[in-house]
Amino acid sequence: MKADIRIAWILARGSDRREWWRFSLTLLGALLATGFALAAATIAAVRGQVSIPYAHGLLDRPGERAGVVLTLVLLLVPVLGFLGQCARIGAVHRHRRMAGMRLAGASPAQVRRLAAVESAFACLAGSSAGFAAFAVLLAVAGHTPPPVAWAAFVAVVLAVPVVAAPVSVFALRHVVASPLDHVRRTGPDRGRRAALGVVLAAALIAVAGLLLLFPGGKGVTPFALLVLGLVLLTGAGAIWAAGAFAAFVGRRLTLHAKSPAVLIAASRLAHDPWAAARTHAALLLVTVVGVGFLGVRGVLLSALGANGYRPVDLAFYTTGIDLAGAAVLVALTISLCGLAVGTAESLATRRRGLAAQAAAGVPHRVLARAALLETALPLAPALLLAGAGGTVVYLAYATVVGGPVPLLPLVVPVAVYAACLLAAATSLPLLRRVAHPAELRFT
Amino acid sequence: MNTPTEQPLSGAGVLISARGLRKSYGRTEALRGASLDLHEGEILAVTGTSGSGKSTLLHCLSGIVRPDEGAVTYGGEELGLLPEQRLSELRRRDFGVVFQFGQLIPELTALDNVALPLLLAGARRGHAHRTAGEWLERFGVRGQADLRPGGMSGGQSQRVALARALVTGPRAVFADEPTGALDTLAGEQVMTALVHTAREAGTAVLLITHDAQIAAYADREVGLRDGVVHSGPAAVLGQEAARREG
Repeated sequence: MKADIRIAWILARGSDRREWWRFSLTLLGALLATGFALAAATIAAVRGQVSIPYAHGLLDRPGERAGVVLTLVLLLVPVLGFLGQCARIGAVHRHRRMAGMRLAGASPAQVRRLAAVESAFACLAGSSAGFAAFAVLLAVAGHTPPPVAWAAFVAVVLAVPVVAAPVSVFALRHVVASPLDHVRRTGPDRGRRAALGVVLAAALIAVAGLLLLFPGGKGVTPFALLVLGLVLLTGAGAIWAAGAFAAFVGRRLTLHAKSPAVLIAASRLAHDPWAAARTHAALLLVTVVGVGFLGVRGVLLSALGANGYRPVDLAFYTTGIDLAGAAVLVALTISLCGLAVGTAESLATRRRGLAAQAAAGVPHRVLARAALLETALPLAPALLLAGAGGTVVYLAYATVVGGPVPLLPLVVPVAVYAACLLAAATSLPLLRRVAHPAELRFT
Repeated sequence: MNTPTEQPLSGAGVLISARGLRKSYGRTEALRGASLDLHEGEILAVTGTSGSGKSTLLHCLSGIVRPDEGAVTYGGEELGLLPEQRLSELRRRDFGVVFQFGQLIPELTALDNVALPLLLAGARRGHAHRTAGEWLERFGVRGQADLRPGGMSGGQSQRVALARALVTGPRAVFADEPTGALDTLAGEQVMTALVHTAREAGTAVLLITHDAQIAAYADREVGLRDGVVHSGPAAVLGQEAARREG
């Protein structure tokens, strides 16, 4: 292990800009994860009925606090998605380096350990920075958490790198870096993860259905299970739709495309249709949740207004709802960052091919249009499905509660689609740099 | 340079033995029952045209690729049956591998690249660097010790790669077109350094090449045609085949 750490340190010192991007973004992801987890631990450590001068009394009672803690924990999902995108930065380059290590005599286990140590370094730096920032916030707020909370803080700071290391090894479990500089991938086939999500969601819906038919268990809420099942089902379906549609459109357009940009994008989609699904997975889930949330918010506020609540009484509810809305927005922002990172990484990985196309005379605007189409084509039907899933969730809620059905949530998929195209467009300056014939000399 | 023979050096024992190797990639049969012995301390050139299976033969002999059929034996062990861990250990201690280009790790300096096999084996950094420095000296690239591969010429990179292949004192070095990406002068310098150092250390070298001038550095030369090893250079085999077909 000592030798592995030594080699990892030498490699880190000699890393190029791409590696440092991966390190920095992984650090940022770890910092966010630590921040959310520390906030959740702080709130969870509060006991009984208290009076906290923040959030309009939302943190005063144990029931609402549990909801806030759950929201903070759920925010870890897009953060993990973001970390997953970061892990893919420079993947091809990293695989080549692994192959070089294997050629020099490193065993597969040694290579995996090196990858784990690299991730743990970045995550330890991120969790330490997160803890430092959190400690400053606590000092400014003048809050002194109980000893049990401090124990939880230490556990969180250590858990982030400790979990990142085996997760990194787990992610590489199917990747056997060969000394011949290629990576053999075994294991889950195309779309199997989406299929797993569908099975899980179907199971949850079945359980919810059974509980609705035969109510009994204390504290079990069939409606919540049903909603969770629907969200998961729609998310998995949307991810599958993105991959399947990319494959279909890629095949069809490769045969019938009339524009060069469409032909280039279609060939790329046909070559690796599930790349889009991987990149958009977190975003599609957030869209389902976002549409559902906005709809439920509208229905709930209408119902409360109809029941004669005064604005001052509504503040308690609106604060909670706005907090959840902020969480959805944060999740959306993190997912969009993940999309931007994924698009940029995809261009960097294909720099040689893009440079070759530029050298063959393909204009830059055609390559740029093709890059945007690669995002736009598979995302459209997937977002449509995600939006439909979220709509079903809030329509179900509106049926139970009663009252008018809001139309604003229907705009969410369109807005997300536009935001996705903008996020993908942020990688276009990079395209200008990589799609240069001179790149062929260096790659 | 000399004139390679078709017979091994007298008295040298067999170091690595390959019998009846078959290897296919999809529908393409790269090897079709190739058999070959590499003797201790000899420099053996395997020549052949592009696609004749030369590189696949090297990959099988060095344990990088497992053959579909046949056996490669080294020190009484059949490489195809060894676990990946043991094969990695062999590559670290007993074998050295050099390719045409790209085998150096871009993040590491020349010194760290050469020291890497020693570090992987658990050597202390100071010791690994001292030994690596000595090997860079032998190959005339001590002055490039602090440079990364991107800052070196092709010939310098190849000499660093050779130093890395030899730093652990291996019993065999596998070189796949080691001068393929170099100009004539740099190629000659690399070959002279390889042959000189290998003879000094008593290391066997399996040299894959399609260049008759490079093959002339070897003690013995065999040809590979359509995945089968024949004694004698590939050029002779080609002429014979052309005569038969004509």
